[in-house]
Amino acid sequence: MTEYIVKESNLTEFFQAVSQNRTLLSPVGQGEKCRLEPTTPDKIKLDFANTHLSPKASFFPQTERLLAFHKDKSLPNSNVYQDLGDKAQDCVLFGLRPCDAKGLTVANKVFQNDRFVDPYWKGKYEKALKIGLACLKPSPQCFCAAVGGSPFGEQGLDVLAYVKEGGLGLKTLTEAGEALIKSTKAESASLSNEIQKLEQEAYGLQKAEKDSYKVITERDLMEVYNDPHWPFTAENCLNCGVCTFFCPTCHCFDIQDEQSEKGGVRMRNWDTCMSSLFTLHASGHNPRPTKVERVRQRFMHKLKYIPIKQDGVFGCTGCGRCVVMCPVNIDIRDVAAKMCRPTQTAKV
Amino acid sequence: MNNPYLPYPVRIAEITVNDDERNLRTFKFEFLNPGDEEKFSYLPGQFAELSVPGQGEIPIGIASSPTEKGYLLFTVNRTGHVSTFLHYMKPGDVMGIRGPLGHPYPFEKLKGKNLVIIAGGFAVTTLRAAGVWLLDPANRANYGKISFIYGARGPSLLLFLDDFKAWEKRDDIDVFLCSYKEAKGWDGLVGFLPEVVKKVCPPADNAAVFLCGAPVVIKFTQTVLLEAGFKNEDIFLSLENRMKCGLGICGRCNVGPEYVCKDGPVFSVAELSGLPREY
Amino acid sequence: MAAFEEITKKIRQSAKTLLESGRVQTVIGFRTASTPLNAAPVFIRSAEDCDKLIWNSFCRLNLANYLPGREGKVALVTKGCDARSAVGQVSENQFLRENLYLIGVPCSGMVDNQKIEAKEPRPIVEVEESDGVITLKGQDFSTSVKIEEVLRRNCLTCSNRTPKLADELAGPETSSPAADDYSDLKALLSKPLEERMAYFKELIKDCLRCYACRNACPLCYCPVCFVDETLPQWLGKSDDPTDTFIFHLLRGFHCAGRCTACGACETACPVNIKVREFNRLMELSVETNWNYSAGLSWEQKPPLTVFQVDDNADFIK
Repeated sequence: MTEYIVKESNLTEFFQAVSQNRTLLSPVGQGEKCRLEPTTPDKIKLDFANTHLSPKASFFPQTERLLAFHKDKSLPNSNVYQDLGDKAQDCVLFGLRPCDAKGLTVANKVFQNDRFVDPYWKGKYEKALKIGLACLKPSPQCFCAAVGGSPFGEQGLDVLAYVKEGGLGLKTLTEAGEALIKSTKAESASLSNEIQKLEQEAYGLQKAEKDSYKVITERDLMEVYNDPHWPFTAENCLNCGVCTFFCPTCHCFDIQDEQSEKGGVRMRNWDTCMSSLFTLHASGHNPRPTKVERVRQRFMHKLKYIPIKQDGVFGCTGCGRCVVMCPVNIDIRDVAAKMCRPTQTAKV
Repeated sequence: MNNPYLPYPVRIAEITVNDDERNLRTFKFEFLNPGDEEKFSYLPGQFAELSVPGQGEIPIGIASSPTEKGYLLFTVNRTGHVSTFLHYMKPGDVMGIRGPLGHPYPFEKLKGKNLVIIAGGFAVTTLRAAGVWLLDPANRANYGKISFIYGARGPSLLLFLDDFKAWEKRDDIDVFLCSYKEAKGWDGLVGFLPEVVKKVCPPADNAAVFLCGAPVVIKFTQTVLLEAGFKNEDIFLSLENRMKCGLGICGRCNVGPEYVCKDGPVFSVAELSGLPREY
Repeated sequence: MAAFEEITKKIRQSAKTLLESGRVQTVIGFRTASTPLNAAPVFIRSAEDCDKLIWNSFCRLNLANYLPGREGKVALVTKGCDARSAVGQVSENQFLRENLYLIGVPCSGMVDNQKIEAKEPRPIVEVEESDGVITLKGQDFSTSVKIEEVLRRNCLTCSNRTPKLADELAGPETSSPAADDYSDLKALLSKPLEERMAYFKELIKDCLRCYACRNACPLCYCPVCFVDETLPQWLGKSDDPTDTFIFHLLRGFHCAGRCTACGACETACPVNIKVREFNRLMELSVETNWNYSAGLSWEQKPPLTVFQVDDNADFIK
């Protein structure tokens, strides 16, 4: 839509303006302590790589209480679950990396699918204005280019910002984003040439080749599924939940009830397809009984099933968190490479 | 906004113990709030989450037909935590029902066809509902010949026997009841369901099949059906997988890219043939 | 300290011999990882793949973790602590001694990535190691760090760096530093209950309950962990601090007298919780009460799994 600049000296004032009547969330802390948290306009960081955990927790907390009931028979509605609401507040997120913003759009299509709308997600997702921060220096584990993303990707963002000489460059992407920036003292500017140049440079710094995993979406599903590499790919796996908990698009959860003598709550908690319990039937039958099926499920879901359901968009955004966090170095880039190539011998 | 996680409050109206081993009980529920029954608009083949406050939820196929007004029926096999708790609940107790979920059998698409309904064991529930719905005067004329083949390990494990006995007397449905084993007092068909299907199954011409049962029953019956000339496109199965949300969100019940809860549970064999066998 | 190249060569040679002779079907060791400051488990089944095996200061995981339930004869590349875990698994009947061959590596300690990050926070692309120095290379920098300055906490107090019960050693024995004196924990134990509780609660406040610690631990081989049991369900599954605390506390108790301070739990933890504090507390207690350390004999059973009439029982009141 429109481009703007904010001078370095006006940054605090700018962040004050965008967070008028809204909570401001932005990455705070260093390294593994870097998190997306409520902060103040004077504490905005521009020099972080990315948050340790993905931003999904702001929309889909690890534990979320959905419903509650009471057991007092002298009152109406005993043993009847009531909605606890989504408790969403208007907020503005500054500093979402393009991969993570794209990740939220993938999860959004699951939480608001062709048949059902998850009100807890929807409330939070739609009340958040999202200002992205483009990546000028991708981290060594980044590979957004391979999965159709860009260091200057715009999906899921209202505004894309980038650090430029003497301040911030801004490109508004939605009506809401345009209205937000218009309400500040940002000066309009013409930045498309600079953005294009910086985007190409940032692409160049990534090891990943553009769209190199696209071939997976073109291959036959069962051929990819039945490839003999899976038992070897899965052999290292500890079946912990690290990859899924850190993934910006992993959205699986468990629903649990907890109660006391007075009443109870129904909540959802992050769950992981790496756990054998995840699919275990009450009968004892398990459709994904070993880590081979479970590891395959995760990668098939990211790179094959989600593209089928979401018009070719991968469920992996190339953020690289699982690459770094996996305790046994199961690297999704290696797995994707195996999923790209035609089925061959079992040797890996 | 409608919250798909919020169950409708219901009261247990009646509990029937179905089998000698006391593992199967059929629950009759009534909606607590007037108007909820209308909102809970469903067709046979769909399921719902039975929601026990403080215990959790279980996905169970709806055994009643929407043509049966005023109540819902569910047959629950005692296996896990929630189903066991439910078995100890009493008529009058208040709990919740969330749904309807999933897709029904493809009644609309199959108008004008002959239907063969095959049920093994307590998987009969949604098929019993389909039978009731099809025999309703409003629907019966839209379909050709209807056959219902139903078997269980023993005669005492045949559920909804009163319905089937009544249907046996009608001339607009052919009912074949069988016991997998000889049993005292049983003078009906005897044999494993696939063998019985082989004997009594009507011709495949212009016919579709609804087939539910234990995996082994499905496997062998499917072979019999294919030999009899039925096509994969015309055989419909209802799958089960572990579920939580029932909305295609929580992620555990997928078979390839399809969620059993949201995109199923009814799939044709043809639809499943290109997907992993993760069910 | 033998150069890592020498050790690597020796491991590859042994692996080759073991596979070719049919003594084992699989060698579990380490390979170069796709990310810097890391080494990954690898399963080698043929002589020509043996050159994938490596040794460096990042071989932090405990490969004994892969033994329970595994079929066939296996050779395991082990540090001192890992060998003790493997021995422990044999003594706990989780793996048959005759199916196990230990290639022991006399260890010089493994590197703590957090300590490296504290010294060099910029993104590291490549790492080189020689003569006790690690060179960290980024997009536009190169920093050298002395390995001994960035060793893991458990390695600094490891009294069993040389795996003495191994079937062979892939290098000359290394000397071990003084054993853990638990002075910090002893000081903690002298504090009031509330302060001790506060310490442990603070310790685990970032826990996500991903269970990487449990799953990386060679002691945690239960077919169904108590946190996963559903009939009955012992523990809530939310992020409630009490539930999280009980998980760590009970895991600590379950490992009592069996932990070999390998630190795999802390290596696997994605939020850098000092998980081992719970285990250290238990080891302090077991060492004090039974003068026992795990995995130093093929026959001896952990004291909490056996009963003897002369057991110290004065804690029963």
